[in-house]
Amino acid sequence: MANLVTSLCCVVLAAVVVAYPRNADRIQYGRIGSDVTMQCGSLDNDVSVSWKMNGTYVKAQHSLEGPRLILTNVSLNHTGLYTCFQKQDDDKHEAIFLQIGIPPLEPTITCRSNTYPQGFYCSWHQQHSTYINTTFDVEVQHNQRSLEVKKDLFHKNRCHVRFPEVFSSFPYKVNVTAINALGKASATKTFEESTIVKPDPPERVTATPIRFNPRRLEVSWHSPATWPDIDNFPLKYFLRYRPLIREQWQHVELSDTTSHNITDAYAGKEYIIQVAAKDTEIGTWSDWSVAVHATPWIEEPVPVVSTTEVEFHTDTKTSPMPCSNAPQKAEPPVGGAATVITFFSRLLLGMLLLLLM
Amino acid sequence: MATAVDALHNLASERSSIQSTYELTKYLEYQLKEIKDVYLTYLGPPFNDKDFSPPRPNSTALTLPSAATRVDQWHRLENKARLAQNQKAYSVLLGAVRELARSTLCPSLKTSLLHFCMGLDGLLGSISALMTALGDTNPTQTPNMRGNAGELQKVEGFWILRELQSWLWRSAKDFNCLKKKLRVTLH
Repeated sequence: MANLVTSLCCVVLAAVVVAYPRNADRIQYGRIGSDVTMQCGSLDNDVSVSWKMNGTYVKAQHSLEGPRLILTNVSLNHTGLYTCFQKQDDDKHEAIFLQIGIPPLEPTITCRSNTYPQGFYCSWHQQHSTYINTTFDVEVQHNQRSLEVKKDLFHKNRCHVRFPEVFSSFPYKVNVTAINALGKASATKTFEESTIVKPDPPERVTATPIRFNPRRLEVSWHSPATWPDIDNFPLKYFLRYRPLIREQWQHVELSDTTSHNITDAYAGKEYIIQVAAKDTEIGTWSDWSVAVHATPWIEEPVPVVSTTEVEFHTDTKTSPMPCSNAPQKAEPPVGGAATVITFFSRLLLGMLLLLLM
Repeated sequence: MATAVDALHNLASERSSIQSTYELTKYLEYQLKEIKDVYLTYLGPPFNDKDFSPPRPNSTALTLPSAATRVDQWHRLENKARLAQNQKAYSVLLGAVRELARSTLCPSLKTSLLHFCMGLDGLLGSISALMTALGDTNPTQTPNMRGNAGELQKVEGFWILRELQSWLWRSAKDFNCLKKKLRVTLH
């Protein structure tokens, strides 16, 4: 029983759609589409009263039976503060806050461990709002024992559980019951420890060009800070990269390292790079890390030489192309050397034409 | 100086053996996934339902050491104790899977299970060799613990494979842990 009480400790209050007015004597709940009867205090059946909603006489379809107001086929618009008055008395007899809503639906539960082997958390949500206060009871069972459940301080519909042991063959069973004034609904999720392990993405990913290496990028990252025991529960990594001009990614899977050199980058092209992580044995890959952009090292462009500085020599030796570690692909030659070549081409063409004549 | 070099070589050799044993574990884990799917289909409903998890029977057929342990206890295991727990578990599991194969009526499944037993036997051998390398001169061979050799119940078969799966997963972590400890020793 104590364990049951402990495991019922996680009770979360969902958002209240309509605030409970301070001047209401009580709250009454009604289900959408139903008829709602409100009783004015404890007046006798033969007493006639009048009713106001939010300060004005009730306009919606209704009927009166002595001290009772009957609203038919209510909708969300009927939500409000109803006050009743005895006909001969201007003072209100009672103020009732009527809140219209629906009973809870079965919650949808997801569980995940991003802090393996420490513990896991479960989150839940309803397909749509119930429009009235809804609380959630959470129970977690493992190997016929109830586990302690702790409410998340920052996330509304989330609870945390510590793993009582690791490498267990027994599944975990999480039961979430949604409760409001109009009913309750439960859902259960059963899973094995190994199936819910999913780390957070790697952090502080950096990509750096390597000097004098136009096709390389040095990528490094850190394991997620939430992963508590990287030494005994190591992660493997999946790195993907592509130039911005391409759609297709290249992938590399890596173990036992938090860095990698890309050696086949296109020279001069900006790359986008991301990394994901996974426990080496179990679970699923993390989401991709924040993307980083990097461009491989590019040689400084050679200053362009003006054509008036080019000198023609009687020997046929031409000055060599500027020395470069990064031969450009199909780039047109630049500067004075190009002018000399063009001149001699025209001369040769002229001579050929003369010969043909 | 020669002793130090020898020690380094021995440690490197041990790391290599542990790595091979780790890889064998991963291979067996992969093989078991396939065999388990076929076996559960062979057992039929409800055993092949995704979320089905019957209570673990308290029978002599299942005197299997559980892979489950508290994290702090697992961390504190000494190398020899870690290996000894693995050896004991696989000794028992090997006998259990052999029994499973014997009682399986489907010929192809029986063949797969017997082939898998060969892999488990290899794993046991690797573990024994590691224990010897780490100075355990008399690694204990636990006899196959199968009590009354009656027909294996379906639920027992279910749990044998489930425990085996947990042990292969745990062993991968155990050998990785051993490898890291030896790396620390090397440095």
